Amino acid sequence: MPASASTNRFLEERRRAALEVYEREPVPTWRRSGFWTTSLKRLRLDELEPRRYEPLDSVQDLDPVVAEAIGEPDELGGLIVQRGASTVLCWLDPEVAEQGVVLSSLERAFEKRPEAVERWYMRRLSEGEGKFPAATAAFWTGGAFVWVPPEVAVEKPLQVVYLLDEPGVAQYAHTLGVVGELSQCRIREYDLAPDLDGQALHSGAFELYCRAGSQVRLAHFQDWGAGEVHDISTKRVEIARDAHCAWTPIHLGGHLTRQTLDIVTAESGSDMRHKGIYFTEGAEHLDLFTTDLKEQPHTNGDTVWKGALTGESRASYEGLIQIVRGAQESHTYLQTHSMLLSPRARTDAIPSLIVETDNVSASHGGTVGELDDELVFYMMTRGIPRSEAVRILVEGYFEEVVQALEDPSLEALVRRRIAAKLEAAEEQVVEFIAERG
Amino acid sequence: MSLEIQNLHVRVEGADEILHGVDLRVEKGETHALMGPNGSGKSTLANTIMGNPSYEITEGGIFLNGEDLTEADPDERARAGIFMAFQYPATIPGVSVANFLRLAVNAGREEPIRVKEFGELLRKNMEMLKIDPQFNKRYLNEGFSGGEKKRAEILQLAMLRPEIAVLDETDSGLDIDALRIVSDGVNELRGPELGALIITHYTRILRYVRPEFVHIMLDGRIVRQGGPELADLLEAEGYEGIRAEVAASAG
Ligand SMILES: Nc1ncnc2c1ncn2[C@@H]1O[C@H](COP(=O)(O)OP(=O)(O)O)[C@@H](O)[C@H]1O
Ligand SMILES: [Mg+2]
Repeated sequence: MPASASTNRFLEERRRAALEVYEREPVPTWRRSGFWTTSLKRLRLDELEPRRYEPLDSVQDLDPVVAEAIGEPDELGGLIVQRGASTVLCWLDPEVAEQGVVLSSLERAFEKRPEAVERWYMRRLSEGEGKFPAATAAFWTGGAFVWVPPEVAVEKPLQVVYLLDEPGVAQYAHTLGVVGELSQCRIREYDLAPDLDGQALHSGAFELYCRAGSQVRLAHFQDWGAGEVHDISTKRVEIARDAHCAWTPIHLGGHLTRQTLDIVTAESGSDMRHKGIYFTEGAEHLDLFTTDLKEQPHTNGDTVWKGALTGESRASYEGLIQIVRGAQESHTYLQTHSMLLSPRARTDAIPSLIVETDNVSASHGGTVGELDDELVFYMMTRGIPRSEAVRILVEGYFEEVVQALEDPSLEALVRRRIAAKLEAAEEQVVEFIAERG
Repeated sequence: MSLEIQNLHVRVEGADEILHGVDLRVEKGETHALMGPNGSGKSTLANTIMGNPSYEITEGGIFLNGEDLTEADPDERARAGIFMAFQYPATIPGVSVANFLRLAVNAGREEPIRVKEFGELLRKNMEMLKIDPQFNKRYLNEGFSGGEKKRAEILQLAMLRPEIAVLDETDSGLDIDALRIVSDGVNELRGPELGALIITHYTRILRYVRPEFVHIMLDGRIVRQGGPELADLLEAEGYEGIRAEVAASAG
């Protein structure tokens, strides 16, 4: 395992503590609801290594999946790309830099502004959460640091990319973001890989602090391609007093994904919207666990997840709403929908609720279903062929969440990728729908 | 040019037969009314004409201009020129009225319709049906009132210009004003190029859209056929009167 590039004492201490946990903890297996298991027994961790790469001049020098996903670079406020274990590209629009925004590797941030970073680093994450959170905390290199000072508005997205472009690579990734009081910005983190021929690992940590009165739009976009990428990540967002965060995670590909996504409305008046998408295909396995944690009174939330499955894929979503003692007058909703597009796919959706206080409203609901035959019939009576009807209905099903991105180039990307997945699965999906009819 | 239903027997899976041998012929340019009480099989006939896979044809067939469509998929029937306005139209999440109409219009064409031409056609037809222009941005039927759904069905009819239109209880659930607007719209579309089968429970709509032929359906059979005077008879006697007559003549 690599030695850290940094000599920061605080960081060294955290890494040492994390390493202890890592060495003590066994490789986990996650179980849920009796039949659901996420196991890493096929992951050959010993054969993976954190690979280093030289810096590059432009996005064009990277695997084309990056350019395809991020769109026009001049529409970005800044871009940082980590390839394997190394930050290979980092760039910030001079106008945005002038506003006091920082976008750099986390390694560099520990060198250049240790006080600011130490204040926030792993405030809401802990190496004690398990083997992989500990591994990430012990071994991360590169990393991303996004800093938006108070009272600025940054229109263009600040873009973080984690790229795996070769098999055999283990990527330990850590993003730390802080958005200052009353500021506005959008942050995107994309996890990308071409179709790798072999195994790779992304072990990720993401933490974002939306300070009082800030307005943040956060998007995660995951498409690890068709290779055997294992993604085990923890992402946590804290929203302070009167701040608002709209967080939209999009999961469009990954051989095996286990993610913990938590959104903490931590102070009164904080407000969040959490809308997510997943679309699994082939033999993919997706395991998501989200928590909507309300810590103080007058906090609000709205969570919607929509998923679809083709092939023999597996997707399990567990969504917890937790309202702690003292967080009265909080209101929150959680909905989870899952659509089976193949007889061999399996899914479950488990919303749950822990409410430790009175005077709150919290509701949840979930559906697991297939495409409604009557809708397909209705569209066909308008002359639309079955395959196109299915595609339009599935795209329409996701549209609510896609539009919540409020980011035209990302919306276009998501629509494009969903359409491509449906096209790839067209025959089996249409056959499935027609056979039921 | 005609839609011809021959000796149609229909059932739903795992249930008894619903239609017991229906014959009906609708020529282009004609307007027919199919009347019957609830549960008599009207929607079953409409859905079977369109090829709803929930309904199984056990005997008989459906022909358009002599071509056998009995086994055809619903989209082929639509492209061949048959349209149905649903009694209970489906909600299509995430697809706006305008987008849906464009997809439907293009499904029946070789070359996609030009944007401008489509916009003009849509505006004209929405005006005819007194539909608020904001309407076309909404997802099709999502949160629509009963009357709005029915209007959206007739808007599709106007945009698609089929040869044969089956309107399944388009009048039910409409207030008088809406009924008048929808009826005016249907009358506007009538002409030598359209054969219409207007399915209704009530005689009310027939005062606005006068049919040349009236058919009365009871228990999965057409029991009376005639001209507009049949609707007047029905109005006077009710379905029970007709039923009694049919029973007497059979017995
Ligand atoms: N999909 C279905 N499944 C089971 N029974 C049905 C179905 N559709 C219609 N029926 C039955 O067939 C009969 C005729 O129904 P329908 O065609 O809807 O009549 P109408 O439109 O004249 O009111 C009713 O008894 C109804 O319950
Ligand atoms: Mg009916």
